[in-house]
Amino acid sequence: MASGATAPGIRALRSRRRPPLHRRGLLTLLLVSAFGWSLTAVPWGAGLVHANGAAVIGRILGALLRPDLSAGTLRIALAATWRTFAYATAGVSLAIALAVPAGVLASGVLARRPGVRAVSATAFRAGLGGLRAIHELVWAWLFVAAIGLSPWVAVLALALPYAGILGRVLADMLDDVPAAPLRALRAAGAREWQVLLYGRLPMVRANMVGYALYRWECGIRSAAIMSFVGLGGLGYQIQLSLDDLRFREVWTFVGCLVALVVLVDLWSGAVRRRLSA
Amino acid sequence: MARPAEAEAEAVAGVRTLAGTTSVPPPRGSRVLRLSAWAVAALLVASWAFVLSEENAGVGELLSAETLANAGRFLGRLAGADEDEPAFLNAAGWAEAGRLAWQTLAMSVLAIGFAAVGTLLTTMAGSRPVEGRRGWGGQLLFAAVRLSWVFARAVPELVWALLIVFVLAPGILAGALALGLHTFGVLAKLCAEVVEGLDRRPLRAVRAAGASRAQALLYAVLPSALPSFLTFLLYRWEVIIRTTIVVGFVGAAGLGREFRLRMSYLHYTDVALLLLVYVGLVLAVDAVGVGLRRLAR
Repeated sequence: MASGATAPGIRALRSRRRPPLHRRGLLTLLLVSAFGWSLTAVPWGAGLVHANGAAVIGRILGALLRPDLSAGTLRIALAATWRTFAYATAGVSLAIALAVPAGVLASGVLARRPGVRAVSATAFRAGLGGLRAIHELVWAWLFVAAIGLSPWVAVLALALPYAGILGRVLADMLDDVPAAPLRALRAAGAREWQVLLYGRLPMVRANMVGYALYRWECGIRSAAIMSFVGLGGLGYQIQLSLDDLRFREVWTFVGCLVALVVLVDLWSGAVRRRLSA
Repeated sequence: MARPAEAEAEAVAGVRTLAGTTSVPPPRGSRVLRLSAWAVAALLVASWAFVLSEENAGVGELLSAETLANAGRFLGRLAGADEDEPAFLNAAGWAEAGRLAWQTLAMSVLAIGFAAVGTLLTTMAGSRPVEGRRGWGGQLLFAAVRLSWVFARAVPELVWALLIVFVLAPGILAGALALGLHTFGVLAKLCAEVVEGLDRRPLRAVRAAGASRAQALLYAVLPSALPSFLTFLLYRWEVIIRTTIVVGFVGAAGLGREFRLRMSYLHYTDVALLLLVYVGLVLAVDAVGVGLRRLAR
């Protein structure tokens, strides 16, 4: 192997800066043994698979090949798709409205005094952490118990944890902005809020819009499962069809969900590419 | 400022950076962006109009005295207003919740393990070719693998769980499979992007030295991709631990099952205890994840 093309390859292989090998080996070993431990927690043995499990798999997969495409089902699917999409859009937009002020306060960039900055950052970061620690469906359940069944349950249950995530990410981005342009603004006499408005926010805009679009896609999946507490939408239809063992309908609704998610994913991908260009 | 000349140069550079980031994007992209902005605005208006037009959805009803009183009563019950001995002051309650948390933890580790195995098995087949073109068999495999990722990812964990309990007895395994399936779709896509972005030279070098494809994966791809793989893995584990409770609702294991039962029996202080343990578990996993990620880097 004396060819000239391979020599730089070997050099690239060697010269890559990387952590000591044993540390990563240790981590891999740790993860593999954790997986081994988790396998022992499963009660292996008879009764794990339902008696007619294989037959049911056959029926479910068979139905996948010919989903129910009758006009009636498609009408229901379309209405459910729109409902899921509307809940997701309303919830994520409310989350963004909450996340922007909370994220700014959690980054502490408005305060010039380090003490005030630390207090603001700690308090708001902890609050955002609490919001996102609880899954949206658990929020939904708590909201149903607290305020009764209404579309607001879906909107609020989505908005709170998503605000927690979006706010944290915004705060991190605001903290990581390059310092030179900010110094230039301050040298020109800008106050902290002006530095934020004309320096930090424009610099994080593209990344933040991209991340919010990604969260929107996640929000659609989350809105779909709000059915579990009794709200309508694709998840509700999937559950109804499953209860009646109508697997062909199940796949129609699942297909609608996949299509919706993929469409939003493609769209947001196109927007992200142009934003970062 | 001690050194004015330097400070000034820095300030000029700063203004230039600032101007660069706020400048108008190139004309072709900007049309798509403008149309997208209008489309998002229209969808926002339509969505809110739809939500507010539904039953019980007025803002007035949300903020009515009755709703607020109900919410206050619910919070009071969570805090143990109606009970002489709230569950969270009871040692046996904590022991039971701890056992369930342990089960939930096992489910999350099992799930991330399944996802990791699936990812390792399919990443190479589903990455855009790292070396040369594929034969039509390889291209078919590529399309099939990619489709399976999209499908696995687009279906939420809870829906996978609803399907899986038709086949498997509800329990840790059913929940872990549902979580693992969705996470597999996410993880595999992320890892394929890492592989596609790798430096190709080590791979070419190893292949030129006569390594087989499997050997090339082991000695050229995995070593440079492993840190990112592990980072994604740990990050997804933190997402999974939040979701275990949800899969538990139907997967009938761990904290989720108990939460569902207590909620329907209206045992509110039990619910409060489970929530406390759940949030504690999530925060603990986040902390462990941060530590382990430092090892991976």
